[in-house]
Amino acid sequence: MTLFEAEQIDKLFPGVRALDGVTLRLEAGSVHALLGENGAGKSTLIKVITGLYKPDGGRLLLDGQEVQFGSPHESASAGIGVVHQERNLIPGFTVGENILLQKLPTSRGLVDRGRIRSEAARWLGELDLDIDPDKPVTELSVAQAQLVEIAKALSVESRVLLLDEPTASITPNEAERLFRVVDKLKNDGRSVLFVSHKLEEVFQICDTVTVLRDGASVLESGALSDLTRDQVVDLMVGRVHEALTLPRRTVAADAEPLLELTGVGTATGHTDVDLKVRPGEIVGLYGLVGAGRSELAKALLGLDRITAGEVRVRGQVVRIKNVRDALKTYKIGYVTENRKEEGVFLEQSVARNIAVTVWDRLRKALGHVPFLRYVPKKAETAIVADYVEQLGIRIASPEQLAGTLSGGNQQKVSLAKWLAAKTEILIIDEPTVGIDVRTKDAFHTLIWDLAANGLAILLITSDLPEMITLADRVVVMRDHRVRGEVANDHDYDTMSQQVIRLIHAERTTAA
Amino acid sequence: MSAPVSETATAALQEPETPVEPPRGRGGGRTPWWANQRIGLLILVVALSALFGILRPAFFNQQLVVFPLLRDIAMFTVVGLAQMSVLSIGHMNLAVGRMAAFSMMITGISYDLWHFSLYAGLLVGLVAGTAIGALAGWVIARTGVNSFVVTLALDFLLLGLIPLVYTVLTDNAAFVTKPPGMRELRNYSLADVCIGNVCGSPAVPQLAMFAVIAMVVVGWIYSRSKLGRELLMTGTSVKAAELSGIPTARRVITAHAMSGCLAALAGFMLAVSTGSIKATIGEEFMLPSFLGPILGGTLLAGGFVSVWGTLLGTALTSVIRKGLDLLGVGLESLNIYLGLILLVALSTDRFRTVLSDRQGVRER
Repeated sequence: MTLFEAEQIDKLFPGVRALDGVTLRLEAGSVHALLGENGAGKSTLIKVITGLYKPDGGRLLLDGQEVQFGSPHESASAGIGVVHQERNLIPGFTVGENILLQKLPTSRGLVDRGRIRSEAARWLGELDLDIDPDKPVTELSVAQAQLVEIAKALSVESRVLLLDEPTASITPNEAERLFRVVDKLKNDGRSVLFVSHKLEEVFQICDTVTVLRDGASVLESGALSDLTRDQVVDLMVGRVHEALTLPRRTVAADAEPLLELTGVGTATGHTDVDLKVRPGEIVGLYGLVGAGRSELAKALLGLDRITAGEVRVRGQVVRIKNVRDALKTYKIGYVTENRKEEGVFLEQSVARNIAVTVWDRLRKALGHVPFLRYVPKKAETAIVADYVEQLGIRIASPEQLAGTLSGGNQQKVSLAKWLAAKTEILIIDEPTVGIDVRTKDAFHTLIWDLAANGLAILLITSDLPEMITLADRVVVMRDHRVRGEVANDHDYDTMSQQVIRLIHAERTTAA
Repeated sequence: MSAPVSETATAALQEPETPVEPPRGRGGGRTPWWANQRIGLLILVVALSALFGILRPAFFNQQLVVFPLLRDIAMFTVVGLAQMSVLSIGHMNLAVGRMAAFSMMITGISYDLWHFSLYAGLLVGLVAGTAIGALAGWVIARTGVNSFVVTLALDFLLLGLIPLVYTVLTDNAAFVTKPPGMRELRNYSLADVCIGNVCGSPAVPQLAMFAVIAMVVVGWIYSRSKLGRELLMTGTSVKAAELSGIPTARRVITAHAMSGCLAALAGFMLAVSTGSIKATIGEEFMLPSFLGPILGGTLLAGGFVSVWGTLLGTALTSVIRKGLDLLGVGLESLNIYLGLILLVALSTDRFRTVLSDRQGVRER
């Protein structure tokens, strides 16, 4: 019996068609997997289903009746519970209060603490969780918090439960516990949607699967028992030969590394990280969410403390104090994964967004007055013109606000400031998240060209095809450690096998 | 693939996007003049002045009305610039008035105890203001506590400290020593500045020169210098600024130090125009300090400032105040009108943000 259906859903964002006629059907008493690469539209679809986004086309059906949700509150009341990828517990409140947040029991207008305790205990009991409802959520472990969120989603009497990457940050043991809960929910006749990057989990607990690619559903409600793992991967990434192929570059193996890490440990939990990037080389840093890749980049920039080991730039042991130091002294740039918050200044002009790293160079003395120097607007505009042309950024004028650009153009602006600063080592973090296929190809070519021009590039991405297109070597990280390294042979099948094996090496030995 | 990479790059870089609409609003450079907020303000100021002039011809009396009005506008513009400096990084300075009082206390001590000249005393005051502002900035940068809270706490601290110092050091809660030149600075206008036989207007007070200097310096910083750009970038997004190599912690301190320095200058202008240095200087600064910049288009959230706007916003409130006063409106109703103006100004600020967001979304 179909419990819930999203039919022909369209969702448009500036510059990107995030969902294009996606259909998802959830059956009662069944676990349905939603798969796709990063940026394929999984989270967007969940946000549409829960009423966080309004769809630009298509309709939602609950029990065969068309429904419209104006807010997550409305979808929750209709019986759709969700656990988002981001943590959503409110710190400072207890476990019980968080679970019952959407309908706190009251008596005479006041919150009834006794009933919070008893009702929350009931939901926790249903999940076989031994957690005190009066405990502040800040004292929970990550996995406990995850399970409490599920209890919270269940507490609204939800018949449909959406789990967005619930296992991304928990250990295998804790995941097993979660799966038992999912099984129980399924046997109760509820419908569970399970989003995960970990295919082995999907094959373990799911019955049917919908695969998204670039915002469209390429497989709708296929039975997982009829599919092999490879078939699913092919569906997710599209046929391999469709991808952009770039000529090979040759990197002199004996060239002195521009950036070299030996036994590096950080305040954010990295231990014993070894890494070398030579000029003209693209080294990929692969791992699942939470593996500590971006954190490593930020430690290299001096934003977090390096507690052990040595970082060498051009052979010299260095202590990088902050981003300014990294940029001015060591010529290291960092293109952040968080474009909107850390990459571009949305409310500032494109000109300033690019010139921000080079004002020192552009400054001129004001007459002969000592200390008084100014930044000529013309110089600022001129430097922008260079990069607008080189990167193909589409703007109406250099004074246009960066926030009015499409995602792809914003990303180019975010990259341009490091090129303007003439950095020699570039750390590029998830460059193409939320960017459509064609712009993606443009970016890949661009990054390839930069390496061909002698830059040392450390590429962080969770997008395996992107990694295989670009990287010369792939370094695999897990739990803030380097698990191994694979030389890229540009063959998707062997590469993905080797990389996945490295990621799961520990798990297999433990099991 | 046999084509050279640079060519494929150019081909691939041609994104299949709809053409980008010409940017609108601030920074776009294509805003029609009649939609420009500053020009709207200018027209409003001129029109209201004309209206008040017609209703009460005394409004144009040079000595009795225009001279003190311009002196007020000059002073409150400097107060506005003091607030604008911290608004540029998205912060607030609730202690702007008390910083003025603190600086003038130091200036008063320098006149009374050390017998400093008028301008040496001003300099000491500016240094004191800069220092107290920098202290506020340092605490904010160091602790990460919201500027609202830190400056509020500082305000209370100074509220207690200043009268205490006055009670210890003075007889009547005011420093009585007036350095030579102070009275002249209060009363002189451009009529006292002559080149040959041509003299300036008696309506323009000489005291206004401080506002002009402050506007030129602050305007230069924000439009021309690297420092100003770094402040604005910090105001737009601290994270992005930090990750672009801008020393954001130092910029927070700079912005608050500038604010303190300008507050001290405004305090000095008030001390000169009232002729006394007392503990209550700057008490009425806080509200107008926000009015001027925000009416003039400075964003509360940070990242955009307007020096001209601050002048015009201040002029508008001062003209309304003076005009209503001449029309015989009581003090209470006058404040009601001013409160309404502030409310409308703040809502407009929010409305503009929403509007520019929507335009961003509608772009595809």
